[in-house]
Amino acid sequence: MALTRRRFVQAAGLGAAGTIATDWIGARGREHALWSLVSPTLQASERDLIVLSSNENPVGPGLRVLNAMRTALGEGGRSAGRYSPSARDLVDAIARKQGVKPENVVLGCGSTQILRSATHLFTATDKPLVGTIPTYEECAGYAEMMGRPVRAVPLDASCKIDLDKLAEASQGAGLVFYCNPNNPTATYVGARATRDYFERVNRTSPTTTILVDEAYFDYVTDADHETHIPVAVDNPRVIVARTFSKAYGMAGLRLGYAIGHKDTIKKMADWDGGTGTGSLNVLAIHAAIAAIQQDASVIAAERARNQAVRDFTMNWFTTRGMKPADSQANFMFVQLGRPAKEFRDACRKRGVAVARDFPPFEKTHCRLSFGTLDEMKRAVSVFGDVLAKRSTAA
Amino acid sequence: MPVSRRGFLSGRVLPFSGALVASRGMEAGESGAMQDRAGRANVPPGIPEIRINSNENPLGPGKTVLEAIVGKFPEAGRYPFNSTPNDGALVSALSSKYRIKSENVVLGGGSQEILKSAVRAFTSPSRGLVTGAPTFENCVGTAKKLGHPITEVKVDSAFRLDLDSMIAASKGAGLIFFNNPNNPTATVHGARSVLDFVARVRQISPDTVILIDEAYHDYVTDSSYESALPLALDTPNLFVTRTFSKAYGLAGMRIGYAIGRAETLTPLEKLRTPYGLSVFGIAAAITALHDPKHIAAERARNTSVRAYTLQALMDLGCKTADSQANFVWVDVGKPAKEFRDACAKEGIIVGRDFPPFEKTHVRISIGTQDEMRKAVAVFRRVLRPVSTTTTGSRMEASWH
Repeated sequence: MALTRRRFVQAAGLGAAGTIATDWIGARGREHALWSLVSPTLQASERDLIVLSSNENPVGPGLRVLNAMRTALGEGGRSAGRYSPSARDLVDAIARKQGVKPENVVLGCGSTQILRSATHLFTATDKPLVGTIPTYEECAGYAEMMGRPVRAVPLDASCKIDLDKLAEASQGAGLVFYCNPNNPTATYVGARATRDYFERVNRTSPTTTILVDEAYFDYVTDADHETHIPVAVDNPRVIVARTFSKAYGMAGLRLGYAIGHKDTIKKMADWDGGTGTGSLNVLAIHAAIAAIQQDASVIAAERARNQAVRDFTMNWFTTRGMKPADSQANFMFVQLGRPAKEFRDACRKRGVAVARDFPPFEKTHCRLSFGTLDEMKRAVSVFGDVLAKRSTAA
Repeated sequence: MPVSRRGFLSGRVLPFSGALVASRGMEAGESGAMQDRAGRANVPPGIPEIRINSNENPLGPGKTVLEAIVGKFPEAGRYPFNSTPNDGALVSALSSKYRIKSENVVLGGGSQEILKSAVRAFTSPSRGLVTGAPTFENCVGTAKKLGHPITEVKVDSAFRLDLDSMIAASKGAGLIFFNNPNNPTATVHGARSVLDFVARVRQISPDTVILIDEAYHDYVTDSSYESALPLALDTPNLFVTRTFSKAYGLAGMRIGYAIGRAETLTPLEKLRTPYGLSVFGIAAAITALHDPKHIAAERARNTSVRAYTLQALMDLGCKTADSQANFVWVDVGKPAKEFRDACAKEGIIVGRDFPPFEKTHVRISIGTQDEMRKAVAVFRRVLRPVSTTTTGSRMEASWH
């Protein structure tokens, strides 16, 4: 408790003096004063640690969402003790926002749950999972755990999905995990090429389902850019996964969703989902309702904020002869010519956390998430120091 | 987001109290819509609602826990593993509370996630589920989806789980679900019965996994009861589940856990949704574990309101099962639906149908003393319509 209490004090910006009254629920005036001191900028897990390891939105969900969370706690905080009946309202809000019917939406405890459900339902011992290598690991990890085969397809020379190779490998597959932009490489395949890929797989391997993970959709600035939600609603072989963990700044709340054909969605909801007393917490549900009802300008502003930081960071590396893969996300993948672990450990000692290993590139490349501009200015100075030293593994 | 940030600091944001008032209307609207769609009995507009249908702690968590939740607001955007404390810290806090190793704990998004995983992990088309009837339905629901065999053993005449019959049904079973106290009947089995049950199942069907769900542990006052936690640490194929949704008042935050031997828990750990617990739930649970006095006070409060409620129902001529939980199981002498709908018209929401007793019995959760006074007044009107009441009982009604 001491730890949590300290965090509370720190969050309220009042220092360690511990002058906060414990009964904030009762004291509206004082509570408001406290509340207005809470900076919406994310706190790092350790004081001054710059966290660039998890592709989070460094500024969090914004005030409107935080207020919705506070409201969701109810009078005297009592709603925290109630099972939330509002998951269905969130389904409705998502359906309205995306222009689909509620029957086309299933919620998940993060898109993690969505990815696991799809892998469980659409792969089998004779129907492999297909994905690029590297890509986000959740589907492959689950498939391996369940004893389902996994086919890994290398990326092309620019770290993009190689659509010809992927289409070939998709023959007879149960599920293709199509992460676009791809994590960890941040590269993006345009809307037209993606649609062509769907058509090719639907035609040549009609029982294969394609799970399009649009986790980083809101960060894409490429002109040939559109969501595949309209395709998914009509095509039982295409599912789109979305999350509130990235541009919406809600990774700590755990909420994601899938959109697809009503039969596909029903299958997923029956297996692991629905809107009952599942794993979705009351704060997440109300935060997401508030977040998705926000004006489009909020996400546009976050996209622009990220783009400025992305330009700054990519430029820093490019001018030093380390050109990152083209990034359409809130992170980048860069060849450093040394093992990721070596770079990571050295940066961590200097207060910057960068990402895990991504085989088969773990000896050469590192993924860096974009923090705030201020954080990145401090981070590149650390990167400069670390990279100035010769690699011990070289 | 620069826009919100500016708003935050310049005070353009609604004052806190204002936001609360504005949203209360919205929440009320939402919950009304929910009832329609969920097919629940409708409370007429304008009638205040008392929810005694879900065995929740009506007071919610304590102040220190709420502070912990709000204290994490600046970390809403951080994955739980990047937050301090993270889910590992919750495992550590539970380990030190019970003086066990972290390998003896598995967390879940509510204990329901663990129940679901247990059915997936331990039952199969040839190894079924053995459970009570009625009991908490989660395991049966999961087994039905999987098409795995289910044996439901009816409770005995005192509404206790019929352990002898469950033992007889256990040979070759994959999983036994033993809810102690049992939801919805509220009855408990003492330590000696539990020990004997486990020993006999181990003898006739050693590969069968026994899940003892102690969701209502903190509400038990019967001195013959003891938790099966120590037994679970010593016995293969036995584990105990607990939850923060009941006495801890955190149903909305979705945190439960399992305790047992590491080899028993491994399949549950594998199936658990990675980072499925929110930053807020983790902080709330850790803080709550540091405040055992709050749980003792909640137990005392519940014991007192439970005694009041049981007495009032007996005064109305209803038979009740012995309650060792935060709800009571009552023979209202009419279908639960009829009783439920009549109560809902006056704003009192009581439990769902629990076959095979849906024609006679209702589960009523224990709210606050004030809520139960109001509820009992409604029960009296529903069970003893005014035309048949005496002057005496009308006077009694006015005292409550």
